[in-house]
Amino acid sequence: MIHIAVQKKLTAVEGEMLLDVDFTLEEGKLTTLYGESGAGKTSIFRIISGLLKADKGLITIKQKTWLDTEQKIYLKPQQRKVGLVFQEYALFPNMTVKENLFFALEKGQDKKIVDELIAIIELGNLQNRKPQHLSGGQKQRVALARAMVRKPDILLLDEPLSALDPKMRAKLQDYILEVHRQFKLTTLLISHDIGEVVKMSDCVMIIENGMITKQGNPIDIFTNQRVSGKFQFSGEIVQIQKEDVIYIVTIIIDANFVKVIAQEDEIKDLNIGDKVIVASKAFNPILYKI
Amino acid sequence: MNILKGKITAVKTNGNLSLVEIDVDNISFKTIVVETPDTASYLTKGNIVKVIFKETEVIIGKGVEHAVSMQNKIVGKILTIENGELLSKLTIDIGVGNIVSIITTNAVQELRLQVDEKITAMIKTNEIMLSE
Repeated sequence: MIHIAVQKKLTAVEGEMLLDVDFTLEEGKLTTLYGESGAGKTSIFRIISGLLKADKGLITIKQKTWLDTEQKIYLKPQQRKVGLVFQEYALFPNMTVKENLFFALEKGQDKKIVDELIAIIELGNLQNRKPQHLSGGQKQRVALARAMVRKPDILLLDEPLSALDPKMRAKLQDYILEVHRQFKLTTLLISHDIGEVVKMSDCVMIIENGMITKQGNPIDIFTNQRVSGKFQFSGEIVQIQKEDVIYIVTIIIDANFVKVIAQEDEIKDLNIGDKVIVASKAFNPILYKI
Repeated sequence: MNILKGKITAVKTNGNLSLVEIDVDNISFKTIVVETPDTASYLTKGNIVKVIFKETEVIIGKGVEHAVSMQNKIVGKILTIENGELLSKLTIDIGVGNIVSIITTNAVQELRLQVDEKITAMIKTNEIMLSE
């Protein structure tokens, strides 16, 4: 069990804000922090990794205390087993992919892990290239592998995919899930994409003004009315067309387009770019083996 | 979406499926859902729920007597008919409110459906969703 309870006064755009969160993470689960910019998500990551000092708090990870302000325990960032991936790639430009991974090894650590990660994240063809010769998606795969080298007790992903196009994003999401499962990691993700949150997370926490206002299963959190339909996805509206007496709404779900028939009074509240839940009953879809 | 509010009057569960009966102002609706009172706490007798079904799933029968397998048969009156090239939109007054049905324009013509006509709106048991 991982327990994080921290308080920190932050200077935000609108003045001072108190970051005050207290949550536990189940080991092996992926939890997402969802909230507006400036709500305190990245500050939570910086406090966990030791880059920002909390005013008050307690962080225990796998029975080890990383922070306890009352007992004056404060582990240095390098003593904390954290894997971090940011939106920016932050790879060493003068080193090849493999060298970047080797550089992350701890003193005396078995180098086998590097080859293992190269295999899982499919970096074999790229391992001798330098970052400048890699695409954005490839760089993020390397950054993910590098964050994993020290087998972190907690993996922190701060909007790692937001600079990538939807197709690349979907692929990278699969790599992250694969690594998360294979290494039985406890992962915290920051994401603004509801589709991504629903696909990736076991649990989501909504952060508003430094506080956790809601938490639970992503579908329950993002569905205002809990519909009994078992065929549910969340996506984004990309097109609304009028046909005859009805409307055809096109929605992108991950990288797939679906079309749903809607009525005029439903369309009134819907705009292109809106996030929606697409729901149908489990009785309607057919399965066609490919 | 057609949305009506009603009270659950019966829940019969078998495995993962439940057959739920809802009373909407003395009109009885039946739906089968892949939920049980354990997985969806709102499936309790006496609870108020929303009964949701798609306009395209509302079948229209002329008159009132129909021997068909459909469990949800509601007698109503056609308020408006909006004819499109292929599809037509019918607004039906069922006493507790209006519902909308989308059927083919061919069907409207074959049945010679007219405004003010008494019809039966029918929805299959598995086409109704529930929501809190």
